[in-house]
Amino acid sequence: MEPYHFAIVVLLAPLVSAALIALMSRKRGGVATVISVLAAAVVAVVGLKLTLGGERFALNASWLDVGSFTLSIGFLFDDLSGLMLAVVGLVGLAVHVFSIGYMHDDAAKARYFGGLSLFMFSMLGIVFANNLFMIFIFWELVGFSSYVLIDHYHERQSAAEASKKAFISNRVGDVGFMLGILWCYWSLGTVNLAEISSAVEGGSAVATGIPLLLFCGAVGKSAQIPLQVWLPDAMEGPTPVSALIHAATMVAAGIFMLCRIEPLFVAAPQALSVVMWVGTITALYAAFCAIVQNDIKKVLAYSTLSQLGYMVAAFGLGSLRVAHGEDSVHSVVIAAGAGAAMFHLTTHAFFKALLFLGSGSVIHACHHEQNIFRMGGLRKLPVTFYTFTLAVLAIIGVPGLAGFFSKDAILYLALANNKAVFVILAITAVLTAFYMIRMWKLVFLGEPRSDEARHAHESGPSMTVPLVVLAILAVIGGYGVVYGKLAGDYLALVPHAHGREHIVVLVTSVAVLLVGALAAYRYYPSVDRDALAARSPGVFASLKLLNESFDGIYGYYIQKVQQRFAMLLNFLEQIFLSGLAVRGLAWVVGLFGMGARALHVGAVSAYAYWFLIGLVFLWVFAGGWF
Amino acid sequence: MMLDHMLLLAIGVPLAVAALIFSGMPKRHSVKLAYLGFGLPALIALYAWVSFPGNLGDRYAFLASYDTGLSALGIKLTLGLNGISLPMFVLAGVVGLAAGLYAIQSGAERLKIYLALLLVMHSGLMGMFASVDVFFLYFFHELALIPTFIMVGIWGGRDRNYAAMKMTIYLTLGAMLSLIGLIAVYVQSDAGGFSLIELRQTIQTAPFSATVQKYGFGLLMFGFGILVSLWPFHTWAPLGYGAAPSSAAMLHAGVLKKFGLYGLIQVALPLLPLGAMHWSGWLTVLALGNILVVGFVTMAQRDLKQVISYGSVMHMGYAFLGVACVSTIGAGGAILMMLAHGLSVALSFLLATSIHHRTQTFDLNEMGGLAQKAPVLAAYFVAATMATIGLPGMANFWGELTIFVAVWKFSPWAAVGAVSGVLITAIFALRATAKVFFGPQSDALAKSSTFVPIVDLRWSERVPALILLAMLLLVGFWPKSLSTHLNGTLEAIYPAVESQLAAVAQK
Repeated sequence: MEPYHFAIVVLLAPLVSAALIALMSRKRGGVATVISVLAAAVVAVVGLKLTLGGERFALNASWLDVGSFTLSIGFLFDDLSGLMLAVVGLVGLAVHVFSIGYMHDDAAKARYFGGLSLFMFSMLGIVFANNLFMIFIFWELVGFSSYVLIDHYHERQSAAEASKKAFISNRVGDVGFMLGILWCYWSLGTVNLAEISSAVEGGSAVATGIPLLLFCGAVGKSAQIPLQVWLPDAMEGPTPVSALIHAATMVAAGIFMLCRIEPLFVAAPQALSVVMWVGTITALYAAFCAIVQNDIKKVLAYSTLSQLGYMVAAFGLGSLRVAHGEDSVHSVVIAAGAGAAMFHLTTHAFFKALLFLGSGSVIHACHHEQNIFRMGGLRKLPVTFYTFTLAVLAIIGVPGLAGFFSKDAILYLALANNKAVFVILAITAVLTAFYMIRMWKLVFLGEPRSDEARHAHESGPSMTVPLVVLAILAVIGGYGVVYGKLAGDYLALVPHAHGREHIVVLVTSVAVLLVGALAAYRYYPSVDRDALAARSPGVFASLKLLNESFDGIYGYYIQKVQQRFAMLLNFLEQIFLSGLAVRGLAWVVGLFGMGARALHVGAVSAYAYWFLIGLVFLWVFAGGWF
Repeated sequence: MMLDHMLLLAIGVPLAVAALIFSGMPKRHSVKLAYLGFGLPALIALYAWVSFPGNLGDRYAFLASYDTGLSALGIKLTLGLNGISLPMFVLAGVVGLAAGLYAIQSGAERLKIYLALLLVMHSGLMGMFASVDVFFLYFFHELALIPTFIMVGIWGGRDRNYAAMKMTIYLTLGAMLSLIGLIAVYVQSDAGGFSLIELRQTIQTAPFSATVQKYGFGLLMFGFGILVSLWPFHTWAPLGYGAAPSSAAMLHAGVLKKFGLYGLIQVALPLLPLGAMHWSGWLTVLALGNILVVGFVTMAQRDLKQVISYGSVMHMGYAFLGVACVSTIGAGGAILMMLAHGLSVALSFLLATSIHHRTQTFDLNEMGGLAQKAPVLAAYFVAATMATIGLPGMANFWGELTIFVAVWKFSPWAAVGAVSGVLITAIFALRATAKVFFGPQSDALAKSSTFVPIVDLRWSERVPALILLAMLLLVGFWPKSLSTHLNGTLEAIYPAVESQLAAVAQK
């Protein structure tokens, strides 16, 4: 078998699973579970084989031809997609297995697993896609599966609202994305990723608008300011879905897509600084919001936003000139932004999926209590506690764990390319340590503060084994030996600090970690009230206001501007077009009809007779009998 | 032997069945025969699709000609299919079957007459797209149109008399304008007949003068435009569909309405390219009116059937934009869009009626939580919604995308307006879906379900819905199944159009 046969198997296994579940096993949740988990296992095993096997290939076929326009379907399997495939496969399988236990008693289990399989198919389509139209197609499909899964508990009004909001926010970004693709198509004459790359190398001019419009798609999907509002609400979905789709893979697709079109940014560097600032501001903003959440999943959601901002900022920081070889005379420009972004995407996927699954285990144990002020003392769930703690240490950047390496790469790049961004990202890192330790302490330490927490028990093996596997990855994922296996040549793009800069970055990252972590540990007692709200209500209220400002503005716009505009147009339509114009027309027709009034019997069917009479006349005329 | 006349059979059999039912056949047999009347055209359409020859160029497949006694006027009943009419013919067959099956199980009053009128309409639809002769193209359109008025007038819902009257006035006016345009083409050409084949051959040597093209296309554009609910001549549509019985709405919105656009693409653009270029700016503006103005109006609707009706008017704007580009890509996109939209709007009307059976209302504010009682219905409706908003995997996506590609080439600013429309669609479609199905059950629903328990989508409703959905998915995943034939014909006809325009532009 050729390598691309394996790729086809990987892509189609989840589609077949989704189709089988939709067609046959709507009422048989158990069968659906087996089918879906098997498909995920195929993706993980065959996918890892492809990535580690080292064979890379490209494949192309036309999907639609109209006139000179051809839309292709094809594979571009290089080191970047290999890395993404490994991430999706590993996290995907962990989440599927975890779901066996977590969703065991759910009545609509089949729909859930069908949705997961559909998501895997769509996500893999993005990973393999060799052109922008194909990315867009699967981009929309991941949006749809996300919509279905957020709306899983559809009898809740909040879930219905959240799924709608997610879809529409993403569509706002996709309008820009689509326009960017169209512009690219007519400007460069191609949307094929490899051809774009060679066109840019060949010196084709790229309008700054093209990468900026394409970036709009990433702003929607990766929930960057100003379209970030959907992601916290998306936590209405089941927790494993949050882990897979809204933390590890789908929301990271925006960063993946940016890396795919990196040549366009090289050709239009002004667009890069926009990307950088959007990411930086998102990282800081979301970190502030995370401090005042009391829902365990909301803390993690804002943390995800913040980390995605980190990745987008990393990409926006752009390339780096580094010394090549032993002497420092020769130097090369590397796409360090893309390298650092993908590195952080990978480590983040492991530890954030672990955090979400761990929170799922906590929520499951506490009978769906999600308020961290009603938890406490949950270190009695040993596997959950230790793995979760590892993940917390990884995200706040404790040296030796995965998050430390990738965060340092970004900080170093920022130090080298833009000091202001470096400072903001360092502050974000302080806040990250602060809100993570706050949550960790409130959930696991102290005494249980509710009956749910008091009666909590550790979950079964289908839920704990994935936690352990992800915990291992969250520890080892940052080492070049491991990451290099998955990332291939993308490893070389990760920036490494040397000498004095290395010390600056190291000292900064350890300092921010200690400051943030210790402050939170000392500030928050294990009680059932938010210490910040009690001690500094002003600060708390301001952060809350900041947190809710976007939703407030958008709500105002939708209710007071958009909907009123729609009502106004509707009013004009009913009054002028339907009312006056038609009555005027009817009056004119009435004039014509005056003479025929005698023949007009007032029924619509009269027209049928007129039609027949006319027909008879026509035939008589044509037959020459007239 | 039979296959040589299969297009005639697709037209004649529904008409013959209708005649038999009218002549007083008992109800039991009427229904059985109706299955034949609705089923056979669909089978023939599928056969035509599967056996459609490749490399046809600008020729027609399954060509057959019948003398009807009008040859003195150059009129012959010439039937045939090319790549442009094939997708429409398939659409008519499939939607006709679904609408027929849905009507048979509807339990409508005076079911026999209802079915007979639907069959007459169906016969007209099949004939419309199978006609190579422009006279019969028009004739079959009228044949399908008249039963629509009658069905709205008799089986309609609220405001049926006003709706029927308004539809009649508008559509008769539209039909009159386009008739004048077609007669002008007939009179001005040297072909001495109505056959499209001859007309196309004639203009290769003797094209119409610029003046004829300008006025001819103008008449056709506005005439056909009214029939397809071009903004601002669209107000008959929401009213009419709101009142129409579901199967009639499915056939009209799904198939019959496409006549105007089909006429523009099959007849007007190839024959009158300079006229098309003259009007394309206007057509763009009006089409954007459909997309943006009607789009916002749709957002303000509070009645499920009105959301679907206005949404359908809005989406016709995309097809008009495709026409306004006067290009191969634009025309191809418009045909794909029409095919997909016909299927999805028919599915939406069907499901809306099924919702109404369960909720006894179309008022969105009184609905909520129906998915808990009818999960299968909810799944179908979500699928229809996703088709409406052009999700990839559904046929609609290809139509919209191809049109966007064409429009950007034609005018990037128009493309900005058109692409923004997908957001508007998402807003109203998802809002309606959430209102009907999700969230807690509404008081009205809880109350009505205490009297009669709400059942999920029954198989008799599910089968016609499944036919439409399967077709949407088939074209959605495998667009080439139809687009290859479509492209073959377009590439044979439209490059001449484009080069003629390029030549004029250079001058």
